[in-house]
Amino acid sequence: MPSELPYAADAEESLSYDELQVLRRQYEKEVAQSHVTVQTTFNFAWGLVKSPVKDDQVEGVKLLGELYRNEPARRRECLYYLALGHYKLGNYEQARRFNDLLLGKEPTNLQAQSLASLIERKVTQEGYIGMAIAGGAAALGTILLAAIIRRAHK
Amino acid sequence: MASTSTAAGSSKPSTPVNVKLLLIGNSSVGKSSLLLRFSDEQWLPEDESSATIGVDFRVHKMDVKGKKVKLSIWDTAGQERFRTITSSYYRGAQGIILVYDVSNRETFDALPRWFSELETYVSDAVVKIIVGNKVDKEFSRQVSFTEGQQFATRMNCLFIEASAKTAVGVRDAFQEVVTKILDTPELWQPVTQKPKSSSSSAGGQNQTMPGSVNLHDEGGAEEAGGGCMC
Repeated sequence: MPSELPYAADAEESLSYDELQVLRRQYEKEVAQSHVTVQTTFNFAWGLVKSPVKDDQVEGVKLLGELYRNEPARRRECLYYLALGHYKLGNYEQARRFNDLLLGKEPTNLQAQSLASLIERKVTQEGYIGMAIAGGAAALGTILLAAIIRRAHK
Repeated sequence: MASTSTAAGSSKPSTPVNVKLLLIGNSSVGKSSLLLRFSDEQWLPEDESSATIGVDFRVHKMDVKGKKVKLSIWDTAGQERFRTITSSYYRGAQGIILVYDVSNRETFDALPRWFSELETYVSDAVVKIIVGNKVDKEFSRQVSFTEGQQFATRMNCLFIEASAKTAVGVRDAFQEVVTKILDTPELWQPVTQKPKSSSSSAGGQNQTMPGSVNLHDEGGAEEAGGGCMC
C-alpha cells in the first residue's frame, strides 16, 4: 500500500477469484445469448485489468480497446483503465499514450496525473536497470575478452 | 492491506492503527472534494474537478486520542455505471462516510438506497457518518440541518454538515469517524469480517441499485475449484 503520492488504487488490489468469476460468468452468459451489454463488458474488463495474472490483463486491455472504439460515452474510463492495464503489463509507451489522451481532455484529473507520475517513475527505473544491465554486460564482455586475449597470449 | 493489519490491540505507541474508510454517495455531492480538502487542504472549482473513475485512494496519517492512526481512504465513484465495481471496495472497511449535497434534495433522498447497499456489504459494527456537504451554498439549501440530523439518528449513525470549499466541518467529519472506530473494539478483533450475503439482509426487500451486480452473492459452488490467484 503506498503511503504517499503517487498512487493508483486499482493497480494495487485485485479481486478475489470468486469476484472475478461473477463478472466472467455474467459476461459469458450474455455472450451465449448474443447480447452483451456495455456495462457487463466494462465490469469484466475492469476485473481482468485488476487481476495479477498477465493473460487476464491482456484480455482486459483487449476488451477495453473495443469498448473505447465503440462506445464514445465510455471513453474516459476506458482511457484510464487502458493506461492502467498497459502500465501493469509494462507497456509504458502505450500506458503513457492513453493516459495523455485522458489528460488532454481533463488536464486537472488527479487520478490521471497520479498515474502519469507512476508511469514516469517506472520508465526512469527501467532506464536505470537497462543501463545497469548494459553496464554489467559491458563489464562482463571486457573480462571475457581479457581472458581470451590472455589465453591467446599463452 | 488495511483490513488484515488490525494493529489497534498492539500496545506500542509508535505502531500506527490502520483504519480503512470508504466515501460513498451520489455523483457530484463532493466526495473527492472532501477528501482533497482533508488530505491536501486543497479545493478545485467545479469546472476543474472531474468525476472519479472507479475509485481513488489516499493515505493520511493523523493523531486521534493520543494514538497514531494511518487512514487509507477509498473514494468511490458516485456514477451509476461504476456501482458494481465500487461495491468490491466495501470489504474490510471500518468506517463509511455517506455524503449528500445539502443543495440537492435528490442526493439526500438517495441515502436509504446507499444504506441498503451497506446492509449487503458491511457488518453492523462498522461506523457510519452522514455528511451534508456544500453548506457554503446556504442560499440554495434544500435539506435542513434538522432533517439531516433526524435521518441520521433514525439510521443510528453520526451526522455533520460540512463544506469542502470553505473547509467547515471537514476535519471534524473524519475525526469523529475515527474516534468512534477507536471506541469500537469489535472492529479490531482479529476475526475477519464476512460480508453478509444479500439474500439474508434487508429482510427480502432488497433494493439494490440498478445496474449493479452483487459480487459477493455467489454460492459455494466454485469454492472447491477456485484457488487464490495471488
